[in-house]
Amino acid sequence: MKKLVALFLAMAVMVCCFASCGGGKADLPTDSLSICIGSEPDTLDPALNSAVDGATMIVQMFSGLAKWSQDASGNAVIVADCAVELPAGVENADGTVTYTYTLKDGLKWSDGVALKASDFVFAWNRAASVELAADYGYMFDVIDGYADIWAEEPVEGAKLNVSAPDDKTIVVTLSNAVAYWNELLAFPTYFPVREDVVANESWATEAATYVCNGAYVMDAWTHDSVITLKKNANYHNADAVTMPELKCYLSDDANNMLTNFKNGAWPMIDDVPTAEIPALKTQYPDEFVVAGQIGTYYVCWNVNETILPAGSTLTGADKANAEAEIRNAIGLILDRNHIVNNVSQAGEIPASTFVPMGMTEEDGSEFYKNAGSSDSFNGYYDVATSAYEANYAAAVETLKKYYTYDEASGKFTNIPTLKYIYNTNDGHKAIAEYIQGAVAAIGINMTLTNQEWNTFLNTRKDGDYSVARNGWVADYNDPISFLDMWITNSGNNDVQFGKGAHAELAIYDLDLTAYGYDIKVEDGTWAETYDVLIAEIKACKDAATRYDLMHVAEDMIMSTGCITPIYYYTDIYMLDSRVEGFFSIPLGYKFFMYTTINND
Amino acid sequence: MNSKTLLYILKRLVLALVTVWVIITITFFVTRLVPGGPFQSEKAITPEAQAALEAKYGLDKPVFEQYLTYLKDIVTKFEFGPSLKQRGRDVIDIIGDGLGVSAILGLTAAAIAIVCGVLLGSVAALRRNKIIDKVIMVVTTAFVSMPSFIMGTLLLILFCVTIPILPANGALSGGLVLPIITLALYPTAYITRLTRSSMLDVLGQDYIRTAKAKGVSARSIIFKHALKNSLIPVITYCGPMLAYIVTGSLVVERIFAVNGIGRAFVSSITDRDYPLIMGTTIVLATLIVVMNLVSDILYKVVDPRIKLE
Repeated sequence: MKKLVALFLAMAVMVCCFASCGGGKADLPTDSLSICIGSEPDTLDPALNSAVDGATMIVQMFSGLAKWSQDASGNAVIVADCAVELPAGVENADGTVTYTYTLKDGLKWSDGVALKASDFVFAWNRAASVELAADYGYMFDVIDGYADIWAEEPVEGAKLNVSAPDDKTIVVTLSNAVAYWNELLAFPTYFPVREDVVANESWATEAATYVCNGAYVMDAWTHDSVITLKKNANYHNADAVTMPELKCYLSDDANNMLTNFKNGAWPMIDDVPTAEIPALKTQYPDEFVVAGQIGTYYVCWNVNETILPAGSTLTGADKANAEAEIRNAIGLILDRNHIVNNVSQAGEIPASTFVPMGMTEEDGSEFYKNAGSSDSFNGYYDVATSAYEANYAAAVETLKKYYTYDEASGKFTNIPTLKYIYNTNDGHKAIAEYIQGAVAAIGINMTLTNQEWNTFLNTRKDGDYSVARNGWVADYNDPISFLDMWITNSGNNDVQFGKGAHAELAIYDLDLTAYGYDIKVEDGTWAETYDVLIAEIKACKDAATRYDLMHVAEDMIMSTGCITPIYYYTDIYMLDSRVEGFFSIPLGYKFFMYTTINND
Repeated sequence: MNSKTLLYILKRLVLALVTVWVIITITFFVTRLVPGGPFQSEKAITPEAQAALEAKYGLDKPVFEQYLTYLKDIVTKFEFGPSLKQRGRDVIDIIGDGLGVSAILGLTAAAIAIVCGVLLGSVAALRRNKIIDKVIMVVTTAFVSMPSFIMGTLLLILFCVTIPILPANGALSGGLVLPIITLALYPTAYITRLTRSSMLDVLGQDYIRTAKAKGVSARSIIFKHALKNSLIPVITYCGPMLAYIVTGSLVVERIFAVNGIGRAFVSSITDRDYPLIMGTTIVLATLIVVMNLVSDILYKVVDPRIKLE
């Protein structure tokens, strides 16, 4: 037995020795970069992809009319890519807007075939088609002709209003001016594909048939394992590409990613285990990166679920207004600073608006800073730590109007139990438990249920819940992507605005006369007010007015209390400090082609 | 092999087919009952696009009709259909890619488990109550009671971070070593214990004493008389062991990011990728059914006294 103990001790000493001398990392190879940005992508067809990690892969391999770049001060900007320049549109007599683009000289596909303007025309029509039914097909709804393609009675041979008069010119006509049109041109769904390549339905599933036109070509794809990208000699800007090879390892296990980062195998990983975040912040202060992301984490309330105490006599407008006030009050009970500092801990920013930080207006100012009516803080309530006590007290006062308050215990006694659902995930669970504890302090009993992701989406979409965790991340930098989701017939209208009992509720006012419109609705339904407002925003040609109208829309959804913003998302990743020239944009895309390795 | 044995095997084969058919049927209908669908995502697609996709993949037809079409395609054309999530890829290709890797993982682990398990078990039995026996028993008890996800994580920390001598990813060279060890440890420990107790049992039998009395050499006693007879429980365990390895690999493949069939199986369920769920289920079910059949037949080979009826 003694021998055994000695043996164990010897082994332990050995392990410790190895551990202590494993400090200096081996040099990184300079001609190949290993990264892990996600698991096996569902698709790498630019038209079909709707995932952020897929988009990151695609922007390395494809080149559209425009692309994201980084200006001298590090801001993400859109610049021309395949197009010589990005000219302004010309407005036609009927209000449509026509853009004419000229392609750069000598553009080629990765297989050496010349890239023509007609390839773009084909790609856009394909991506918008019913046959493909792509997730992001609706991204083309700004182009004239889209409505005919998706009409209930499809128009025979309907196509987008886009043409290629010659091999180098693309002419596209939009239904009306679109503020974020250039961003769309840099969006993967708008990237070109070639007709003879995609005729093979499996073209985007293996390296041999994957033809692209960007910085890299796909050299090999071992499914569920690794995708190897090699520099594309036929890329029009190949001289600027400094990293000859990218090895994109496919893993969806954050622990595995972190292990590979720690032992130096993968210098860049896009995810870390939530529980490790506090340790990583101190252990890797320069390599643990918190980048901005345009998105909001929020709690949504089912507008048709009552939260008034049993026996309440309020009905109709009084009931709806009371419920809105109650929901907003409960929202104020939550200490968002506590959540981001102690619960989620990934450098998120406490949110006081639904349209997130990072969305800019025409004049470059932050949309969220102009939201709400207060001059002393941004948004609809003050999220400063110092304001929390006052918010809390105000919330309690509001709730006293509707519920019985027991002064002795400082708790309400007849608030109905709230049922909160979230999808199975440690991060969401932690926030749910915080909320449960926070509302329990004022006597609200909240039950928590977690559901598997797909079931959860279904439950939320069907309105089969009372309170639910929710989140939304932008696809392009324009607040409309956060506002049009709340129209009655939107597939993302989880709150159920204008549905069920709420469809009949006529309590909303819409007065746009101040903005030069002949629209004034009093006591209208959601469809008569909000839906109309969104339609006007989409048709609006004056940028300043358009942003004003979008503030009106956000005011409307926030006044219902059905949206309780928690924080603005951040994008966290680990990047070895020896990798230089990397950049990412707030939409989550990451760019590796201009990286170099500095082992010194 | 007599006609009775053949008849038995035939009967078992028919039964196996029925089992697989029942599994297909249950899986098919249960997956359709689960809320959600393959075209659901955080950002909802338009109802028109959803309808177009459902029509494209025949999901707009009544479920029973879909079931009949599915069965027909499998039986007549051996067609598992296209994946609904990984567009452009057929289920059979996804399974083919994953199964190869999983087979290397599983078969190596099984081989290691059997060889090491029988060896260690025999050593422990023959050196009963000696220090080596005690060490083996302590270690195997630890391994038998440790679930693979803990074992995997421990090995990952030890050999990939603390002493980084092995890669933590299945795609890197040598990346399959740790997952194989993780998968093999439990069955190795189990077989060791099984072999030990069964060997001890056999060693106490009269015919062993007779052999000893006759002056048969120790080597001959162990290999010819004791070992062969003590292997029957080990063979019985082979079926369940395969089931363990198959299900265990779902977890282990994830921990070590191995591109086996496990990830396809798990993600197909979260994605509601119906054809892929069916495909992976059929493959795994068939595997387990067949292995159980094989281990039943092996009894007969090892011990002719056993009647297969």
